[in-house]
Amino acid sequence: MRGRRDPLLWWSGAATLLAAGFGLSMLALFAVESLPVWRQEGLGFLAGSRWFYRGGEFGALPMIYGTVAAAAVALAVAAPLGLGAALFTAEVLPASWRMAVKLPVELLAGVPSVVYGLLGLLLLRDWVYRLLRPFDPLSGDTLLTAGLLLAVMILPTVMTLADDALRGVPASQRRAARGLGLTGAEAAWGVSLPRALPGLAAALLLGLGRALGETIAVFLVVGRQDNQLPERLLSLAPLARPGQTLTSKLGGAETFIAWGDPLHWGAICGLGLVLLALVVGLTLWSGRLLEARAGRA
Amino acid sequence: MRRALDRGFRVATAVCAAGALVTLATIAGAILWRGLPALDWGFLVEATGERLGTGGVRYQTLGTLLLVVTALAVSAPVAVGLALAQTVYLPRGTARRRLRLGLYALNGVPSILFGVFGLIVFVRLFGWGKSWLAGGLVLGVMIVPTLTVALVERIEALPRKYLAAAAGLGLTRGQVVRSVVLPQSRGGLISGALLGLARAAGETAPILFTAAVFAGATLPEGIRESPVLALPYHVFVLAQDSFDPAAGSQLWGAAFVLLGLVFAASLLALPARLASAEEARHG
Amino acid sequence: MKRPGRVRVLALSALAALLGAAAAPATVRVQGSTTVNPVVVEAAAALTRETGIRILVDTAGGSSGGIAALADGRAEVAMSSRPVSADDRKRYPRTRFEPVAIGVDALALVVSRDLWEGGVRSLDREAAAALYEGRVSNWRQLGGPDRRVVFFNKEPGRGTWEVFAGWLYGDAAAAPLVSLPEVGSNEEARSKVASTPGAITQLSAAWADGQRVFALALRGAGGAPISPDAEAVAAGRYPLARRLWLITDGPARGEAARLLEFVLGPRGQELVRRHGYLPLAAGGAREAP
Repeated sequence: MRGRRDPLLWWSGAATLLAAGFGLSMLALFAVESLPVWRQEGLGFLAGSRWFYRGGEFGALPMIYGTVAAAAVALAVAAPLGLGAALFTAEVLPASWRMAVKLPVELLAGVPSVVYGLLGLLLLRDWVYRLLRPFDPLSGDTLLTAGLLLAVMILPTVMTLADDALRGVPASQRRAARGLGLTGAEAAWGVSLPRALPGLAAALLLGLGRALGETIAVFLVVGRQDNQLPERLLSLAPLARPGQTLTSKLGGAETFIAWGDPLHWGAICGLGLVLLALVVGLTLWSGRLLEARAGRA
Repeated sequence: MRRALDRGFRVATAVCAAGALVTLATIAGAILWRGLPALDWGFLVEATGERLGTGGVRYQTLGTLLLVVTALAVSAPVAVGLALAQTVYLPRGTARRRLRLGLYALNGVPSILFGVFGLIVFVRLFGWGKSWLAGGLVLGVMIVPTLTVALVERIEALPRKYLAAAAGLGLTRGQVVRSVVLPQSRGGLISGALLGLARAAGETAPILFTAAVFAGATLPEGIRESPVLALPYHVFVLAQDSFDPAAGSQLWGAAFVLLGLVFAASLLALPARLASAEEARHG
Repeated sequence: MKRPGRVRVLALSALAALLGAAAAPATVRVQGSTTVNPVVVEAAAALTRETGIRILVDTAGGSSGGIAALADGRAEVAMSSRPVSADDRKRYPRTRFEPVAIGVDALALVVSRDLWEGGVRSLDREAAAALYEGRVSNWRQLGGPDRRVVFFNKEPGRGTWEVFAGWLYGDAAAAPLVSLPEVGSNEEARSKVASTPGAITQLSAAWADGQRVFALALRGAGGAPISPDAEAVAAGRYPLARRLWLITDGPARGEAARLLEFVLGPRGQELVRRHGYLPLAAGGAREAP
């Protein structure tokens, strides 16, 4: 019996190699296609603050800033709201209500980004314009608008994963805490939250990853104005102005017209490489963090 | 004091939950309010009219379905292989951890990068031009983690007693997999496929460069130069023209059909996922 | 012995699929300008209905996107709202651009309703350049209401942008490098201006409906303002009239030629007129090489 080869082993091995090969080839492809811009500008590409393709200037910094700023806004709004809501559904809400809440949230997590973009165009844009009136905005297309739209998009994901993480804490531990006389809040704070921390961090990091990589919704509402950087380091002013993210540039017209010019195409692929490195790096780092934590727990 | 804190906690979290639910309800409501009037059976089966804003979304829907079916056909075998690697074939410890991280990483790759990858490799390098197959392939790769994770969860939720019994009967690993693991985890594959379907159906960025055109395509013939119409791309283009009321009604109708597809798939996946969770708890 | 048989069938059908795939169907791929697009989409639909020719139309990338697709071999016909430039020929030296004019359009500066009602009715070239370069940041400086100037710039790859830049600076390549919020398609430009107070953009005059977005008149040097209506454009008095083009690589052949023929014929020209552009007086006008 031991001599029999297991075809499924080969299939499994082939699948793993295929997946790994794909991942590496994607990385390699973006690296190779972007060589012209690295050769021309080196790491200055990342720090360059001017992008004028007609003038042959390519700097990614404003777009890196835009990506990070919009995602930061998204997380700043979705994290407290989502975690708070998850605490409610996992710790306070009676179990019978759980499905009634979980179902719509899970459905909304699957809403396509183009629909969110559409709603952003029609509803959020005007609302943000009115909100920012005291700051004399140009229009409702701002980094803030993009950030808020992203917040709404990642909210269901954060809520649902955080709820799962909190639920993962065994009921016995909660009962023990209550048995010792702790109130619901104290049990949640002292028992559930610490034990669910890896899962909660995963929820936030997954949401962050999605916020960094979202294209279509951001493209429609961010304004797509290049070379927007804050004057002072931690200034919030650019949030009230139009901006550009890595994804909104990649999803735009330049990707269609850049092919004829090797430097321009290299710069576009360079943006892709930066985005890939950013998101995959974040994902791997957060994965390692969670593994380490799980190891210790 | 402690009671006050407890009450405060309940209130604060309730407020968060209410805020979250209100936000989400507003979205759902806006979609329903705008989308329902545009919808009737004719809308689904008619082709888009010659004048902008007239007609239905027949070929957009068919195009989306074609892309999604292709994506599933591509990703399902790979997902099964990966899931088996993760749960059975790879040695425990580092190897499995690496695979899980890799899946995690693949899942996080922004969809626009899949689109650019498809542009470079399929549209240009392979010389296919815009092609439904290119779109299906990139979508397929994109949803591999979704299917794999669902399948892995299901396999890991399998009651130990089945595997113990099989081992007790003297079956080899391969036989255990073929006769116990795979049949029992079919539900995981189905729910993963439905979730992958929902995700692939709604993505615009991967097909922007590889498979979708706005007008003129019906059903593809062959592989090369065979783009399709697609619901998300249709919505994306029309969304930029929120000025024209005629476009508006078709826009919302198309968005509604897309959402219907996505929601139907997600809802169908739910029972299977709940079943896995139950088995995991009791098994 | 069922399994080997099944494998053979699968292999044969895969081979057949690949072979079938090698022969691509006869298709005309059209890509480019959102200004030309409405005409071509309707023409293509009529032509497909009557002859069964497959015509795929897409507007990703605008005029420059269409020209790039043509040069790249990804399209048979490019739609463009600007002429083929020296820069295009330099970028794509292997492509023999054959542009065919199919109509005439008035490019206008289009503003939102609050500006029109606030008295902004015309601009001269210097004012337009000042707005574009950001030297004028409030409409008050031009005699309009007290409101920030929101210039939605058409992406530099768009034909509309190139014609506008050419008008301001002689050659689009000489235009200064500015960073403005960008819009892509005509549809998006119109939507953004309609929904933002103080907004202005470059847009085909045919797309201004006179209810939510308004086309400004242009003033020549010290001259009277000239509105972009059909009569002024036909008489050649409006300074920003431009031809709309369908471009092929080498003279149009086969199905692509039939599409061009249709658009240049009476029914196609009727479509041109119905979408607000000016039909050509007689036949097609070929651009001097």
